[in-house]
Amino acid sequence: MTAQEVRLCGLLLQEHFGDVVEKVGTHLLRNGAQHLRAIVQETGTPMDLVKKSLCVLIQHGACAFSSGRKGPGSPVEYQASFERILRILRYPRYIYTAKTLYGDTGELIIEELLQRGHMTMSSTVKTVADRLTLNMEEGHSMEYSEVSNTFSKLVETHFLQRCPPVEVAGKAVSATPDPATTPGAPANNTTPSTPESFADCYKVPHVTLIGRGKRRNSSEDGEDQRNAKRAKEDPETHGDEGIYWQVNFERFHLHFRDQAIISAVANKLDQTSSEIVRTMLRMSEVTTPPIATCTQALSANEIFRSLPPNYNISRPILDQYLTLLVDDPMEFVGKSGDSGGGMYVVNLHRALANLARATLESVVQERFGSRSARIFRLLLRKRHLEQKQVEDFAMIPAKEAKDMLYTLLSENLVQLQEIPKTPDHAPSRTFYLYTVNQLPTARMLLQNCFKTVANLIERRLFETKESKRLLEKSQRIEAILASLQASGAEPEQLTEVEEMITPPEKQQLESLRHHINKLDSAENQVDETIFLLESYIKAMKRL
Amino acid sequence: MAARGRGRGRRLMSFSVEAVGISRGESLPPSILQPTPLFPPMEQKPLPLVGGEEVEYMLALKQEFRGAMRSLPFFIQPDAPHTDVERYSDKYHSSEPADSSLDWKPGEAAVAVSLVKVSLTACFAPQTLEKKEEEVSSGEEEGEEKKKQEEEEAEGEEEYDEEEFEEETDYIMSYFDNGEEFAGDSDDNMDEAIY
Repeated sequence: MTAQEVRLCGLLLQEHFGDVVEKVGTHLLRNGAQHLRAIVQETGTPMDLVKKSLCVLIQHGACAFSSGRKGPGSPVEYQASFERILRILRYPRYIYTAKTLYGDTGELIIEELLQRGHMTMSSTVKTVADRLTLNMEEGHSMEYSEVSNTFSKLVETHFLQRCPPVEVAGKAVSATPDPATTPGAPANNTTPSTPESFADCYKVPHVTLIGRGKRRNSSEDGEDQRNAKRAKEDPETHGDEGIYWQVNFERFHLHFRDQAIISAVANKLDQTSSEIVRTMLRMSEVTTPPIATCTQALSANEIFRSLPPNYNISRPILDQYLTLLVDDPMEFVGKSGDSGGGMYVVNLHRALANLARATLESVVQERFGSRSARIFRLLLRKRHLEQKQVEDFAMIPAKEAKDMLYTLLSENLVQLQEIPKTPDHAPSRTFYLYTVNQLPTARMLLQNCFKTVANLIERRLFETKESKRLLEKSQRIEAILASLQASGAEPEQLTEVEEMITPPEKQQLESLRHHINKLDSAENQVDETIFLLESYIKAMKRL
Repeated sequence: MAARGRGRGRRLMSFSVEAVGISRGESLPPSILQPTPLFPPMEQKPLPLVGGEEVEYMLALKQEFRGAMRSLPFFIQPDAPHTDVERYSDKYHSSEPADSSLDWKPGEAAVAVSLVKVSLTACFAPQTLEKKEEEVSSGEEEGEEKKKQEEEEAEGEEEYDEEEFEEETDYIMSYFDNGEEFAGDSDDNMDEAIY
């Protein structure tokens, strides 16, 4: 857990869950697994607030509990997960992807689940139907069944999964007769059980949900009270109590990875090649496990049959495209055999490595100029080079090449490797070679990305705090305007209220909004780089 | 280290001069004796951000999400600072929502099965309490069937805290004036009793 990671997680927790959860969360991240009393003592927060924070963190999957390390009698220990908290940065991307794939209904389902962490299917469907009904015209409302259909589709394509039921420490016999529990889970099960180890992970429960979304109108306060009381006293059962759902981030990541590969092919080659790669990836979606190095082999005949109908390219042209893709130095597609007109695979890990390499090269280019980027690319390709060889191959004058190499060396993007000729490592009799190691450099850049996002968030908070007075004033005026408009006021009153903000203040507000939007947008875009680098590092780790 | 070697006249350095590329008469850059500046001047300006509809939409999603999270029960506020003396009306002030979901009392009917098992195997009180905490927290979060009733209550209570609390008393909240505004004015008459 590096300092940058902890700092970033702290900022994310603070923005979304408040200061108390931030304190507890960062304490857990810094100090590893802790039990409840230790957390209370060391953070100095009252016991009930700590309990609440832990509940919130567990609800959102950011914290897990397990039996103590000292044996079955020791208290429960809680452990926060840094990766899960970092996912908060990617929430807008998940919601937007759901919108492109499943429309507004899918978007709202994913948004609700991300906001609440874990939810039952029935409550999700009801909330989403109500929200959709709000945006529809008068007299129309959303059927529960439509929303349930979209929910089932999301589960079928594995974008949603059930939360795994929990085995409790210190119990010899698991009390739940639910077939979804892992059979024979021992008391001190320290290995974290993934949601996928449960058989019913993707099974949609039989839910009786009949009705339409409710529209909230102006008489909502009285109705809310009555509804609230009714919901408390008489909970409607829909047959799926105890079955909670969460968003399956890994599936979204596979989707993003595929998108990255397809757009890379489109940029490097052309639209038709990217369509071919998209078809290949779509065909092997269900057959390829998430950790696979490459997809299943597909024959050219199959690819030809599965191409989208509006792409009427002939068979020989398809073969030519496939040959082009195989020969391309980026190695997105590989040929694994000749049967069936040629067996082709998409090299997933190699594609990720190439995308990461392109990211590194682009970073060097933007920070140090194109000639330093040339040296960097040269070192990536040729592995180890001496000072003289670098100057020769890169065709850069000696003095400038030296300068650039030293700058890259001081930024730790390039490393020096000593090769002694004699056992006493005498400097005059040692080779000094410059080299670039892609994986450690990617790790270092990933940490830089975390620092970048943390800086962006802090700057945004600073800007907001500076103009707090102005923002509050504008919010109050908006509230006044809204209430005046609702109660039907004359235009003169409205303009009078609007003039309470002076033009320079308006300008200041405008520029503040512009800055905050820019900082927010930058966070989203740095997150895309984070995704690429993280996927690459994870893929390499599995090898 | 290079400066040291240079000043003494003994040109023994840990790395070979020629190999790394410093020729004999060349001067090294002066050593800097202060931390690097906070905002160093950049030789290359960064690229502009990507624009477009998709980016704008995701930006709006992000800001809405942040706003929505603030209003959910997951956003926990720290305790309000306590005044020096406990007042009678403190009982009726909604200083914090009554989260009786966290007041798990051992022996509640809904958690009978697991707690009975746990209490049989428990060694002594603090561990039992913590196990039960963890029982109920796991039930509350992960939804085991044996705790479904308790956890439904808990979920309902987390969400409808304010209303429930306000239902409990028949008095208007503002009726119970703390009297602090009254006492705060007269700071010099501390020997008089404060009502």
